[in-house]
Amino acid sequence: MEPILKTENLWKVFRAGRLDVSALRGVDVDVFPGEFVSVMGPSGCGKSTLLHVIGGLSQATRGRVLLDGNDLAALGDAGRTLLRRHKVGFVFQRFNLLPTLSARGNIALAQHIHGDGFDPHRFDVVTRMLGLTDRLHHRPSELSGGEQQRVAIARAIINEPKIVLADEPTGNLDTKNSDNVLGLLRQLNKDLGQTIVMITHNPEAAAYGNRVLHMRDGLVVDGASAN
Amino acid sequence: MIRHMILRNVMYRPVRTCITIIAVAVEVTLVLIVVGLTSGMLSDTAKRIEGIGADIMVQPPSASIFMAFSGAPMPIEIGQRLAQLKNVRAVAPVLLQFNSTNGLDIVYGIDPQTFHQVSGGFIFHDGHDLQNANDILVDDWYAKARKVKVGQTLHILGHDFHVAGIVEHGKGARLFVLMSTLQELSGARDKASVFFIRCVHPEQTTKVIGEISQLLPHYEVRPLRDYLSLMTSSNLPGLQTFIRSMIMLAAGIGFLVILLSMYTTIIERTREIGVLKSLGASRGYIVRVILSETTALCLAGIVLGFAMSYGVRWLFLSAFPTLSIAIAPSWLLRAAAIAVIGGWVGASYPAWIASRKDPVEALAYE
Repeated sequence: MEPILKTENLWKVFRAGRLDVSALRGVDVDVFPGEFVSVMGPSGCGKSTLLHVIGGLSQATRGRVLLDGNDLAALGDAGRTLLRRHKVGFVFQRFNLLPTLSARGNIALAQHIHGDGFDPHRFDVVTRMLGLTDRLHHRPSELSGGEQQRVAIARAIINEPKIVLADEPTGNLDTKNSDNVLGLLRQLNKDLGQTIVMITHNPEAAAYGNRVLHMRDGLVVDGASAN
Repeated sequence: MIRHMILRNVMYRPVRTCITIIAVAVEVTLVLIVVGLTSGMLSDTAKRIEGIGADIMVQPPSASIFMAFSGAPMPIEIGQRLAQLKNVRAVAPVLLQFNSTNGLDIVYGIDPQTFHQVSGGFIFHDGHDLQNANDILVDDWYAKARKVKVGQTLHILGHDFHVAGIVEHGKGARLFVLMSTLQELSGARDKASVFFIRCVHPEQTTKVIGEISQLLPHYEVRPLRDYLSLMTSSNLPGLQTFIRSMIMLAAGIGFLVILLSMYTTIIERTREIGVLKSLGASRGYIVRVILSETTALCLAGIVLGFAMSYGVRWLFLSAFPTLSIAIAPSWLLRAAAIAVIGGWVGASYPAWIASRKDPVEALAYE
């Protein structure tokens, strides 16, 4: 089976004043369709940078990122924008919902940007699965943290992306809501075969994945490829 | 969806939205009132000149169509020569004088007999015609605006006049005195500023103009029926520049307010722009969202501006009944276009900045 995501000798170098800081130093990772990969590592090890690069939010300095057969390194801003629109769903630690829109509006916005118009069937399936049917008319400020993150997950999967990239999705949640959100992510992975890459500090959260990838100093030190 | 998002965005910051809408409304109102005031006053003046009922007017060489600008360089005997032309029924010499005492007005010095022959005479609301050297006639609008009554004294041109009558408006000026009195006051003895001519038959106007042009080469001889079309801001030196300056000023206000408003909006919404980018929104999509929001604010401002313009017009006309403010439909469209285009120009820089934001930096924005 071909990996849905493959990185080869991936480097990301930031310029900090006169210094070059390497956040990624030749990362090689394979993620296969239907996998739920947790990425762990200490702060500053390059986890978020890896997520941004493989999600097409920023460009690699060197190396290759193949996402569903598309080389992100060879794409310009417009090409990466299209790839994010059609193949990637993001879930962020701080939920990042638009405060002016209701839960329904936040989810529908992703469908609108995707360009296929509002799909009521898909919308119903996703919101029911995430237990949001009673909360759709509420704004983010009227929702609990757990509910906001469920809306963010709904927004991420509404367009059936090839991969969901979750950056510390439980970082702002209490234990109960964390378990709930992680359970939902595992359910999405098992029931829908959704490929997920999740960054976390928490070993208990990482255990929800079926593979844990450890990073240190910009390198993957363990779990780079499925056994 | 964009419409829904825009509606939510503008409602989310009501103070900012209101200030922006009011600024656009002020821009629209400024344009409409300045243009309406100038064109209204010009049109009103033209209608009053046409209301005299003459067919032709004769002015000295190189005289402006704005008669009060031309002084009184014509000998009054010219009138007798004009009256001898075959198809001329009556000739009325008129001396014009600007008055700046108690306001800005044009005073007509007339010979009642010839003026009535040309104009058909005044319609009196009160009082009687000019009889004595110190008599003055005022029109009904002037009387209403200044609360003037027959019998009272009116200080005009540094002289105390006795209000002899109040006449129906629309006969050239709002103030009429005897020509001999005005000649004395202005030091223009035996001079006239303009001759109004009535032909025996109006259809002979062109023929009579030809005869006058032969009799008085180089003099300005114009048919009165064309006068209204000539009384435009483009024919008054400097007025067009003034109007353009005021429009630029108004558009500048709208541009700056929209620029500032949308710039603060995109700074405030940096994280949201990052979210849109993470969802796959293109640069064009983000520009479209911002320009659409600008358009919505401008449209609201335009509607409010139209209402404000009519409100300001009503206030002005209540306070100064002799003013004329003409809000033409074509200028409603132009003012709207100026507001929208100014808004788009003002929003284009913030929209460009927003569209080029780095998504990772935008998402990390606190």
